[in-house]
Amino acid sequence: MSQKNRLQDGGRIDRSKPLTFTFNDESYQGYAGDTLASALIANGVDVIGRSFKYSRPRGFVAAGAEEPNAVVQLGATEATQIPNVRATQQSLYQGLVAASTNGWPSVETDLMGLVGKIGGKMMPPGFYYKTFMFPQSMWPTYESYIRKAAGLGRASKEKDVDIYDKMNQHTDVLVVGAGPAGLMAALSAAQGGARVIIADEQSEFGGSLLSSKETIDGKPAMEWVAQVVAELNEFDDVLMLPNSQVNGYHDHNFLTIQQHCTDQFADRAPNGAVAQRLHRVRAKWVVLATGAHERPLVFGNNDVPGCMQASAVSTYINRFGVVPGNELVLMTSNDGAYQTAIDWHDAGRHVVAIVDARKNPQGSLIDAARERGISIMVGSGLIEVQGSKRVTGVSVAPLNESGDKVTGAVAKLKADTVASSGGWSPVIHLSCHTGARPVWDDEVIGFLPGPTVQKQLTAGAINGAFTTQAALSQGIQAAADALASLGLEVTDLSLPKTEEVIQDKAMALFHIPHNKPTSKAPKQFVDYQNDVTAAGIELACREGFESIEHVKRYTAMGFGTDQGKLGNINGMAIAAKALQKSIPETGTTIFRPNYTPVTFGAIAGRDCGELFDPKRFTAMHAWHVEQGAKFEDVGQWKRPWYFPKGNETMQEALNRECLATRESVGILDASTLGKIDIQGKDAREFLGRVYTNAWAKLAVGKCRYGLMCGEDGMVFDDGVTSCLGENHFLMTTTTGGAAHVLEWLELYHQTEWPEMEVYFTSVTDHWSTMTISGPNSRKLLEKLTDDDVSKDYFAYMDWKQMTVAGVPARVFRISFTGELSFEINVQANYGMHVWKALFESGEEFNLTPYGTETMHILRAEKGFIIAGQDTDGSVHPFDLGMPWAVAMKKPFSFIGKRGMQREDCVRADRKQLVGLKTVDPTVVLPEGAQGVFDPNAPIPMPMVGHVTSSYWSACLGRSIAMGFVKGGHDKMGEKVFYPLVDGRVVEAEICQPIFLDPKGERQHV
Amino acid sequence: MSDVNNEALEQAPIKLVMNQLPAIDVPFESPLHHVELAKIAEHGESQGGVVFRELSLGLLTLRCTPNAEQATSIEAILGVALPSKPLTSVSSASGELTVMWISPDEWLLQVPQDKAFELETRFFAEVGGHYSLVNVSGGNTVFELSGEDVVKVLKKSTPIDFHDSEFPVGKVVSSVFAKSGATICRTAEQSYQLVVRRSFADYLWLWLQDASKEYGLTVTC
Repeated sequence: MSQKNRLQDGGRIDRSKPLTFTFNDESYQGYAGDTLASALIANGVDVIGRSFKYSRPRGFVAAGAEEPNAVVQLGATEATQIPNVRATQQSLYQGLVAASTNGWPSVETDLMGLVGKIGGKMMPPGFYYKTFMFPQSMWPTYESYIRKAAGLGRASKEKDVDIYDKMNQHTDVLVVGAGPAGLMAALSAAQGGARVIIADEQSEFGGSLLSSKETIDGKPAMEWVAQVVAELNEFDDVLMLPNSQVNGYHDHNFLTIQQHCTDQFADRAPNGAVAQRLHRVRAKWVVLATGAHERPLVFGNNDVPGCMQASAVSTYINRFGVVPGNELVLMTSNDGAYQTAIDWHDAGRHVVAIVDARKNPQGSLIDAARERGISIMVGSGLIEVQGSKRVTGVSVAPLNESGDKVTGAVAKLKADTVASSGGWSPVIHLSCHTGARPVWDDEVIGFLPGPTVQKQLTAGAINGAFTTQAALSQGIQAAADALASLGLEVTDLSLPKTEEVIQDKAMALFHIPHNKPTSKAPKQFVDYQNDVTAAGIELACREGFESIEHVKRYTAMGFGTDQGKLGNINGMAIAAKALQKSIPETGTTIFRPNYTPVTFGAIAGRDCGELFDPKRFTAMHAWHVEQGAKFEDVGQWKRPWYFPKGNETMQEALNRECLATRESVGILDASTLGKIDIQGKDAREFLGRVYTNAWAKLAVGKCRYGLMCGEDGMVFDDGVTSCLGENHFLMTTTTGGAAHVLEWLELYHQTEWPEMEVYFTSVTDHWSTMTISGPNSRKLLEKLTDDDVSKDYFAYMDWKQMTVAGVPARVFRISFTGELSFEINVQANYGMHVWKALFESGEEFNLTPYGTETMHILRAEKGFIIAGQDTDGSVHPFDLGMPWAVAMKKPFSFIGKRGMQREDCVRADRKQLVGLKTVDPTVVLPEGAQGVFDPNAPIPMPMVGHVTSSYWSACLGRSIAMGFVKGGHDKMGEKVFYPLVDGRVVEAEICQPIFLDPKGERQHV
Repeated sequence: MSDVNNEALEQAPIKLVMNQLPAIDVPFESPLHHVELAKIAEHGESQGGVVFRELSLGLLTLRCTPNAEQATSIEAILGVALPSKPLTSVSSASGELTVMWISPDEWLLQVPQDKAFELETRFFAEVGGHYSLVNVSGGNTVFELSGEDVVKVLKKSTPIDFHDSEFPVGKVVSSVFAKSGATICRTAEQSYQLVVRRSFADYLWLWLQDASKEYGLTVTC
C-alpha cells in the first residue's frame, strides 16, 4: 500500500530515508522521523485494534502518551517481545514488527465484535462482576477466555536478550517536559549555574512546538528550540534526556525516569548497548512542565476510527506530513481547535464544517477560518457519528445555551474524519504521585496541581497557561524560584516573543447530548480502553454509586494502561451531572505511578541472572569447586554441602565423610562463621549481659560457648567466644546470624549502655577458618607446626597462637563434632596455602573434606543444637535442655533473663528439645514431621512438637533425630508417633539428645 | 616466630597484638586471585573507558573517641592527625599511609601490608586509654577504578552523588554498592578506591565488569 495520506512536503520527517516495517503481518513503508502511528496513518490504516469489552474496531485518537487505543505488541523475534507499547510514542525504525494486542482472532474479523454488537445492551458496567461470578469454581475458565478476548499483550516466552540498567542521578533542578515552559526553565536554571536534568518522552525536544506553526522571536518555533538545545549542550552540568519518560515522582524528590536508549530505534540493541535505562534521580527541585492533554468530546459512536483529538490531527499534519483523511468535521467548545481546521485546509484537504457549541465565538483563529471560507455551525453539537471501521458521516444538531440539550432538527454531513476538542486537561499525574489532591479551576476547565509538600514547581500548560507566551514566562519564573532557593544567582533572561492570539472564552462542555436519552443513544464512549460509556456512568450513579472512587471501580473507568488520561475528566463531569453536584464536589480520582507502563526489564535492571544476588565465597572456594563439591546457600554464602566422589550418592558421600572423620580426620571450611573482635575494659561485662551464661572468670587463652537471647528470652544465636587478652575477646556467631549479631551488639552499646568502654569490629572475612576434626587431627597438626599441641599444654577449650604451615595462626581447641578438633585461623590471604598444606600432610591420615551436611550429622550425634534449625525464635535455653548455659545469678542481669521467666515460659508442658530414636532404626524421620502421643486420636489430633533435625548416622548404624515434644524432658523412654503424609505412622522413643560418647571422652583426648 | 608471639601474649595480657604475616615465602592469594587479573591485563582490552586494578594493602580499623592525649599520640604514630571532618581522608606526605573517616568513632587506616603489625605494635605501646585497632587486611580488598567513564560506572552502582561539587578528591563515603557495600574514596581527578569485603569481591568484580561493558574495561596490575 502506498502512503496515500502522506503530504508531498512539510513535517519533521526525512523523506530521503524510507523505512520498511510490518504491522499485523503486512509490510508498510514510512520515513525516518515517523512514529509507528504516523506511519500507519500515512498508509491509510484505520483499525489498530479492538475494544476491550465490546470488541469494536478502534483507530488512533491521539498522537502521544495519552493514546488509549493504539497499544501494540512490539518485537521482531520472540526474545524481543514488548507488550503495551503505544504506537504514538514508538519511533519507527527499519524492520520494526508490531501487532495488535486486541482482536481475536484478528482485528478485521473479530468474533468478539459480534458479541459486542449483539450483547452490547447486555454488557452494562459491572458486567463481569454480575455475570461471571457463578459458579465461583468456573471463574478461572471464564477468566482465561476474557483475558484472551481482551488481549492485553503478552510477555516474551524466551529470555530477554537486551540489557536494561539503572543509573543514579543527582541534580539541582529536574525539568520534566521539554516544551516551551520546560526548555525555558532548563535554560534559565542552567544559566544561573544550577545542575539541570531535562527529560522528555518524545524523541525530539520541543513539546507542543514540534507540531506548531507559531513563531518565537519572529522565527519558526523549532528554530528557537534548536537554539536552546544548542545552548544547553554547552553546559557541563546539563543532562538532556529525550525518549525518556518521567514515570514516577516519589517521596523526597526522588523520581524515576525510563530512558529508551536503543529500543526506540532497534528491535534489539546493538552489541553491548543498553536498551533501556532507569534513571533514579534525586532532585533538589523539580519543575513540572508536563503540558496538557486535549480532551476529546463525548458523543454518539465517538470511537469509530477517524474520530480524533483535534490537536492530534494537527500534529500528524504539521509534524509528520500526514493528513489522516479527506473530509473533516471539527467539533469544538473552544477557539484553539480552529487551528486544526486551518491546518487541514492548508494541507489541501476539505473541511466540511466546524461545529462550535458556543453561540457567538469571536477570535483571531475564528477569523482565520472564516477567511479560508470554512463553514462554521455555531451553537451546535456533533451528536453522532456514522460508520463502523471508519467514519462515513456525522449528525449535527443545535444545542441549548448550556449545551445539555438538543433543541432542533438533526442535519447529516458526509465526512471521514472527526476532530474534537473539549479543551485541555493539565497533565497533573506526577504531581498526584506526591500525594497532592488536584484542584478544579473553572477558568481552565480542568484540574490543576494541588498543594504539595515536595520541592516542586510547575510551569506552562500544567498550570492552565495554555499559550506559548505564558509557558515561556512561567518557565523563567520557575527557574528563578528554584535558583533563589538554591542560593544561586538569577540571571536576567529576556522573554522570547510570540505572536499574540486573541481567544474567546471556552465553554465547559464534556458530553454532547443526543436527541435520544443517553441510555438509548448510540454508545458515547468516555474511556476507550475500558469501554466505559456515558450511559454506563449514569447507570452506576443510578445504582447508588456516589463516590467517584466507587464509580471508577464499578465501571472500570481509568483502569486501563492509559490510566484514563483522556476519559477521566469527562467521566467525572458526567458523574457530577448525574449526581447533581459540581465537579469539585464530586472530586477526582488521583493518578499513581507509573505515568505510562514500564517494562519489567527496566525495573529489574542488572539485578538478574548471575547478579541477582551476591554470592559470597571463602578463600578456599576455588579448591571446593575443583573437588566437585556440591554447594549449599547459607545466607549469601556458598558453602560446600558435601564432596561426592565418583558416582557416590549424597548418602554414600555423607556416610564416608562421617566415618572418615570419626575414624581418622576430616576437615571443614568454617570461614563463614561470623567473627567479631571485641575490645575494651568493659568487654567482659558486656559479654555477660548479651550472653546468658557467665563470663567474669574466663581466663586469657580460654574459650567458652554461649547462647544469645532476645529480650523475650528466646535463643537467636550461639557460638564460642575466646578470651584473647584481659580486655580483648573474639566472638563467633552462626554464619547466617553474623550481621544481625554485630548490629545487636552495637544497638545495645549505642542505645542502652553507651557508658561501657567496648568496641566491636567484624573480622568474619579476615580469617580463614579450617577445622580439622577426628582422632588423628593432632597428628596432622603436629606435622605442620613446631609448637606444642599436646593434651597437657593445649587442652580442650584452650586457644593458642602458633605457626601452621609457615603462617601465623590462632588455633582453637573447640569441637562441634565431639571429636578431638583444632580450628585453625589464618589471615584469609594465606587460607588457601594452609588448606592445601593440610591436604599434603593429611594424605596418610586419609584427610577427608566434609561439608555442612556431614557437620550437621556429626553434631547431631552429639546433640549440639544449630540456632535457626533446632530453634525458631520461640524456644529458650531451658526448652533446649541447656540450663547449664544460663547464669541466673549474674550481678547485672542479662538480655532475656526476665523474658524466659514469664509465666508461659516456665510451664511444665512446654515443647522441649529431646532426642528421638525411631523404633525401626532404619527409618529416618522427615524433618518437620509433627508428633502425637496417640496415633489413634480423632482428627484433628493434638500435635505435641515437630522434628527439627533428623539424619542417618553411619557411625551408629541407625537413624537419629532431635525434636520438640511437649513436656519431653520428663518423658524419657516414652513413645511419640509421627503420622506422615504417605500414611505411615513412625514410632519413636524419646531419649536424651546425645547419641554418641555421652561423657565427651573423645574430644578431651 | 611463634615463640615470640606467645611471649607477647604473656607480656600483653590486656590485648592481643599479633603479626599475621608469614616469616617465610608463602603464596599470597588476594580475594580476586582466582580471576587471574594478570592474564586479563596482558590479553584484555587496553583502551577501555574504565581501568581496574586490585590493590593488596594493609588495612586496619581504628575505633576510638580520642581525647587530647590520644589524639597527640596517634598523630605522632601516623604522622597525620585523624581526620575529624566527616567523609574526609588524609594521607601522609609519603603517601604510604591514608586515613579514611568512616564514622564518628571509626577510621580505616591504609598502609603497605608489611606495616600493619608495626602500626599495631606502636599503638599498643604508645596509645593509652580506650580504643581498638584491628587488622582487617585479609577481610577486605581494594579495587582501584579510574578512567574517563569511571563515574558512570559508579553511578550505576551506588546512589552517592559524584559531582565535583559534592565529591572532591579525598572524599570518602561508605555506602551500598550494587547489592553489597563499599567504602569509596576519590584518590585523584579520575581515580577512586573501593574498599570491599573479601567475600563479596567476586560478586563486585562481576558487577563492575558488567557495568563497564559499554565503556570498555582495561585491567592493570
